[in-house]
Amino acid sequence: MSGWPSLQLSHFQVFLLFAVVISIAFGFLGRRRPKDRIKYILWSFLLFLAVGIGIAWVMFPFSR
Amino acid sequence: MDEQTQLAAPEGSAPLSVPEPNEEQGMSRETWAWVCGVAGWLVPGLGHALQFMWGRAVVVFLAVGLLAGAGASMKGNVFTRDGSDAFDTLGYAADLGTGTFYMMARNMEPDGADVSHADGDYGTRLLATAGVLNLLAALHAFEAARGRKA
Repeated sequence: MSGWPSLQLSHFQVFLLFAVVISIAFGFLGRRRPKDRIKYILWSFLLFLAVGIGIAWVMFPFSR
Repeated sequence: MDEQTQLAAPEGSAPLSVPEPNEEQGMSRETWAWVCGVAGWLVPGLGHALQFMWGRAVVVFLAVGLLAGAGASMKGNVFTRDGSDAFDTLGYAADLGTGTFYMMARNMEPDGADVSHADGDYGTRLLATAGVLNLLAALHAFEAARGRKA
């Protein structure tokens, strides 16, 4: 296992990974029908993006 | 395990079937729920697989595995029980939530974590996220086995 590749992602890439994976998991756990799942996944993914980027903008003036 | 319980389904769709524990073997619904919950914690997705919820089982396994694998690959901190403060203890509890993936994550980091760079910090968060997600999925499997709407 010592040769396991090291992963280097930017903050935004990690944020996208988190949003995609959690949205899919929540969609499957929270809804039964495929159509409802797809709607839930897309909606929660968009909300993750909106809230994450929104918080980043709010925090921007305090970052320097 | 052959018996099936018919649950109310949304209008226009077929009734949903959830396997019911075989009472003749002495396993009550409550015991079966605990078996599913603990199995789901130890092996992500197993709690749903025992109830033939294949889609959910695969998604939970892949989601927890992907997050834990990415976190360990980024040299995130895999907490141990020898934590020095409350945050370490909380991190340990969250990491333990990944079940068997906790050992995988530790084996993927033979040289230890490296949180001196941002990547390691992100990895620490991903590992904790994987654990909490798996605990949520295990709770979902537990509730589904108890016959609650899931």
